Amino acid sequence: GRDVQVVDPEVRAHVYSLVTALGGFNGEDVSKYNLGDDALACLRDIKKWLRLYDDKTNRLDVARCLAEANIVNGDLLPILNLWYNGEGQKKKHLTRVALACLELLVPLTWPVEIHGQMTINHHRHTPYLQQAQVQYKRGILDQNTGLQTLRAVIQIGLPSFTMPKSERTSRDDGILKLMLYLLRNVAMISAPKGLVTDADEEETSRSTTINAFQQQNVFALILTMSANISEDFNFQDVVLLEILFHLVKGVDVQKLFMNDTERKAKHNDELSDLLKKESGVKREYAKNAPTRHGRFGTMIWVKRDDAKVSTVSGQDILKDGQIAFNKMDQTKKWNRPKHGRRQQPEAASGDFTLSTHLTSTATKNLRTFVEEFLDTGFNPLFTHVRKAIEREADRVTDINTRQFLYVVAWFLQAERERRSYQRKQNERNKGTSKEIEPDNFSLVASVLNQETFVFLNRAMQYSFDNHEWQDLNANMRCFTQILLTIQEMAASTFEEDQEIAENTLNRIFYEETTHDRIISIVRGYKDQGFAYLDACTELSHVFLRMLENYSKANVDMQVRSKRRARAKKTDTAGQEADNEENVDSEAEELADAARVAKERKFDFKRFSARFCSQKSIDTFVQFTTYYRDLDDEQLKRAHRFFYRVAFKQELSILLYRLDILNLFYRMIKGSESLDSSKPIFREWEEFVKQLTRRMIKKLNERPALFTELLFSKINATLFYLEYGHEKQTISTG
Amino acid sequence: DEPDATKVLGLDADLKVTKQRVPIAKLDEARLLSQKGIPKLRKDVKTKLKFKGKAHEFSDLGRLLNFYQLWLDDLYPRAKFADGLAMIEKLGHSKRIQIMRREWINEEKPDYLRN
Repeated sequence: GRDVQVVDPEVRAHVYSLVTALGGFNGEDVSKYNLGDDALACLRDIKKWLRLYDDKTNRLDVARCLAEANIVNGDLLPILNLWYNGEGQKKKHLTRVALACLELLVPLTWPVEIHGQMTINHHRHTPYLQQAQVQYKRGILDQNTGLQTLRAVIQIGLPSFTMPKSERTSRDDGILKLMLYLLRNVAMISAPKGLVTDADEEETSRSTTINAFQQQNVFALILTMSANISEDFNFQDVVLLEILFHLVKGVDVQKLFMNDTERKAKHNDELSDLLKKESGVKREYAKNAPTRHGRFGTMIWVKRDDAKVSTVSGQDILKDGQIAFNKMDQTKKWNRPKHGRRQQPEAASGDFTLSTHLTSTATKNLRTFVEEFLDTGFNPLFTHVRKAIEREADRVTDINTRQFLYVVAWFLQAERERRSYQRKQNERNKGTSKEIEPDNFSLVASVLNQETFVFLNRAMQYSFDNHEWQDLNANMRCFTQILLTIQEMAASTFEEDQEIAENTLNRIFYEETTHDRIISIVRGYKDQGFAYLDACTELSHVFLRMLENYSKANVDMQVRSKRRARAKKTDTAGQEADNEENVDSEAEELADAARVAKERKFDFKRFSARFCSQKSIDTFVQFTTYYRDLDDEQLKRAHRFFYRVAFKQELSILLYRLDILNLFYRMIKGSESLDSSKPIFREWEEFVKQLTRRMIKKLNERPALFTELLFSKINATLFYLEYGHEKQTISTG
Repeated sequence: DEPDATKVLGLDADLKVTKQRVPIAKLDEARLLSQKGIPKLRKDVKTKLKFKGKAHEFSDLGRLLNFYQLWLDDLYPRAKFADGLAMIEKLGHSKRIQIMRREWINEEKPDYLRN
């Protein structure tokens, strides 16, 4: 191709000569790295180049040259190991060299991300650097050659680490920071999406990272620091949070807490499910597959009104009328143009939507770590981080709130899984001496207090108002996990736990703003992607069910509702006024400071009626369109919601819309239906059957419904269509 | 001097003929309310759609969906079933259609319920 000068040749020459002068493998013993005479000065010069050329002029040129010169795997890592393995640790000079290596490693492994202020230069170098960093990670984790880079890095930080906090200088704090950021970078780097990597991805996978962290004592370091965060490591909390985030993001908690046989069984189940699905597809195909060759040329007429006909070709249509209908539809070439927002690629620093698979060794290692972390580090670290975020400390960045919420949600789920695992173990060991006493929930108490709820509510409102959907997603997951944990607490054998759970629920459900927010989140879904859809439907499912139970158990439940002062008079206007009030509640909230807060009796029936609006139904319909990929739990969630709408709230009229009916029909009948051997299929089948039966009865009674099937219903006619008579309203003159 | 008439009128200039594209038929309010649209639907459901009732729920539902598919194919052959449904649903939010919908519902109400 054309010879393009990507980097100024003079810069390249300077950088290359520095790298060459660092040292190399050519001496008497070829396998031994020989340090150049002025290595320390070279390292410092390279650091200056990075800072004064790349950072100051906002380029990535030097980083690119260093990647091409293979400085990390060729020089820095061998030097570090020379220092760690040999007698180097006692030599002051060599220790300095090692530190200088670390000082270079951190900026070189610092993730290059796609962001808003990229120059042409960034666009040119980013893909190359991303791939280079994967190579760096491979080198750092590489154990085959006897390198122990992570251990060496920890060794560099150790003198500063053991020092009491009061005696540490700012240099010591800097070294600790370097050490932790290197660990964060290693955990974070992953093969870039959409770019081909030339080597085995296994060597840089999450499993390899976890195993290396276990073998080289990184986990022990994280545990020690988390447990002593408030005494000795005040400023390191956010970095620790980031390391944890990049370790656990996307890891399936349920699979973590299974023993090998269970996991194997689960894998087998998944495999056999997939195979069954596949053979089902094949069977469906074979049912209608042509029995003659492709040019056999069958053609039929579908007779229609006014002596019109449509022609459809293919042998399969002879057997079943439905297939002819499907084919008539599928052969149309035009598609309705869709004007959706295009999804911005999510930066790796905050994305948690991709799931990761772990090998069985890595699973074991991570699980040991997670259990120890729950026992010692969870409460101190997360209290500390929450306070730092609230205080808006300098070290906190925007992404940290999301990471915090996600990690808390993940560990709460881990704690619940661990308890259920222990319960199962106890059942199994009944009668033997190995019974373990159940614990109370104090291990995760730090995120179940009032401060956290205030934090959570504020964060949720903020991300909702500012359309930060990924943040909101993390928020919803966290809230769901907290609710589920409290539910489990309420069922605990400890009286203390029950009491706390009762109190907490009261506090969560006391604020009417929380109820309203959840309703508006569910109603506000539009193009935010499947992960978001999953989180918001799960939250609404859990919230609604718990609220239902709670309001049943506490009949005289009160809520604090904040309304405008003049809203008092129109309080009796009923549901319609209520709906209107929600629409402009956002604007109102900002503009209107003069509100009165008063206690009101909570009416679950009315609340859930608001929940079952057309918009939330649309959200759940969107969710259900993924039915082929949903698991049983998710299908159940959707089923319960529609069941509530149709039969508990008696609003089945809202579901009588052709696109919804078409979706339900396809779930049960035809070649794309759900697996009929599963119990969840029976539930759906029964539901659709009941729904259809009611609908046909209504169609016969009120033929106007035939046209209304095409549309979302209007509030004014809703009641008549459902019941066949007008609502009795009492006017209050 | 008199102004040159041919110049002013542009008689000498070359005529540029831009071919108009054939307009694409749209599924809009007018089409939906035309004779082929909802009026036909309302007429046909009375004569051409029969349900078998209890124990035949799924075949009834299938028949209902097929009926609408054919109706939509007649009304606007360009769109697939699902696309057509989405387009019509969207039209249902317009003022004019909403007024019509209320009217259709009111028509079948007994006298004492009509507003």
